[in-house]
Amino acid sequence: MNENEILKIENLTKKYYNKTALEDVSMSVERGKIYGLLGPNGSGKTTLMKVIAQLHKQTSGQVLINGSPLSYESKSSISYMPTENFLYDSFKVKHAVKFYADMYKDFREDYAMKVLEEIKVDPEFRISKLSSGLNGKLKVALALSRNTDLYMLDEPLNGVDVLSRDTIMELIARSYDETKTFIISTHLVSEIEKILDSVIFLKDGRVELLGDAEELRLSKGTSIEGLYKEVYKNA
Amino acid sequence: MLKLLKYEFIRKYKLITMTLVSALVLNLYLLTKGIAVSSSFLLFFPLILAVLYVSDVIRMYSDDLNKKSGYMLFMTPNSGYKIIMSKLAAAVIEGIGMLFIYFVFILVNGAFIIYQTRSFVDINEVMNDINTLLSGNIGINLGHVFVFLFAVLVFVIGFIVTVYTAMTIRKSIFSEIKFGGFLSFIIFLGLNWALTYASGEFYSLVSPHYNSFVNVTTVSASELLVIMFPVIAVSIIQSIILTLCSGFLLEKKINL
Repeated sequence: MNENEILKIENLTKKYYNKTALEDVSMSVERGKIYGLLGPNGSGKTTLMKVIAQLHKQTSGQVLINGSPLSYESKSSISYMPTENFLYDSFKVKHAVKFYADMYKDFREDYAMKVLEEIKVDPEFRISKLSSGLNGKLKVALALSRNTDLYMLDEPLNGVDVLSRDTIMELIARSYDETKTFIISTHLVSEIEKILDSVIFLKDGRVELLGDAEELRLSKGTSIEGLYKEVYKNA
Repeated sequence: MLKLLKYEFIRKYKLITMTLVSALVLNLYLLTKGIAVSSSFLLFFPLILAVLYVSDVIRMYSDDLNKKSGYMLFMTPNSGYKIIMSKLAAAVIEGIGMLFIYFVFILVNGAFIIYQTRSFVDINEVMNDINTLLSGNIGINLGHVFVFLFAVLVFVIGFIVTVYTAMTIRKSIFSEIKFGGFLSFIIFLGLNWALTYASGEFYSLVSPHYNSFVNVTTVSASELLVIMFPVIAVSIIQSIILTLCSGFLLEKKINL
């Protein structure tokens, strides 16, 4: 694993009962880039992220973060935002912020409160009462308020209205710097295409295509969205 | 671990408060209905508390393993051992809290009854009266009650750890197997059988040392503790082993 690689995946397979969600996936993720993890529903995007975040255990294969195998300590280097509503319903927004501040040493509580004010999420709101748009923005704000190496956002634009999508895209763009790596999964390719450095196309649990976004655009003579439609036209 | 514990209680403070307030209101209402009704409540209240307690501590872990909100806990950089220990510590604190509340209820009701008959209350007198009542009618004192409650607490923890271990196995080594839930239940029954068997064997092994108690008509609280030692010891050893197994599985094999 070279120094520029933050994540290395070797022959990763994940099976559920008799279904194979990921099959022999191998790839490297370089530091300081924004990756688009693309594919339709059921292609394995969420499973791949959950294995890296250690919410799921792989059936076989290996994942290395900063050169070390996954362990509970490596969760410190990963800021993962699941696509599901995972925040405790009984909490108020301020409790969720405090929870992150208590659990993650790299969490910037002041920054989080500033962002919440900006995106108009009241800390006194109960999480169970938030609309899907506000919940989406809160999840992104919490994940991006950590100051860590690898950010994995699973469908950050899902179930979010157009205006909130712009806000979320702006938050992501603002959080990026050359020391941070982002993996963003989505099937809303057009919304996110402009910020992607590299793309990973997953199809039926396998890596179908992986490469630099600009090079792919030039070599294939089409946008990433066009390429997406081409890859998955029969899916 | 203290931070994990803190959030366990933040998550359930509403439920605890509601239970306490309801019990308090009910107790006050029943006190106005006379001593007999109030005493019946004190008799049945621990049973209700026990059912609520066991269902709450099982739900506390089950929700984290089976609902999406569990991601919030399992994404944090805490070891599996720390997570399971914090769950157990929360369960123990909650159990002790409930016992404490029950004793408060006994004292309050006792004081109320004494106040009704004598118009004044002396807390030492209340304790003496309870002690006299117990030793006079049943031949035991408060010391016996505390030894018994300690043993119950240890057994309850042993039971909770066994349930937690079965749930952990379901969400780890059996998570990719069909009928994993059924297999986990079988494991739970098997664990319980094995532990009861071990406890019995251990007791048989050490029972000759207890002959001195056989012909004694009254047993002191400390003697009772010695008599119950084998089963308590097995329960403690069981809890430690199963906690370590659960911690390992949570850390290395979990599939939420």
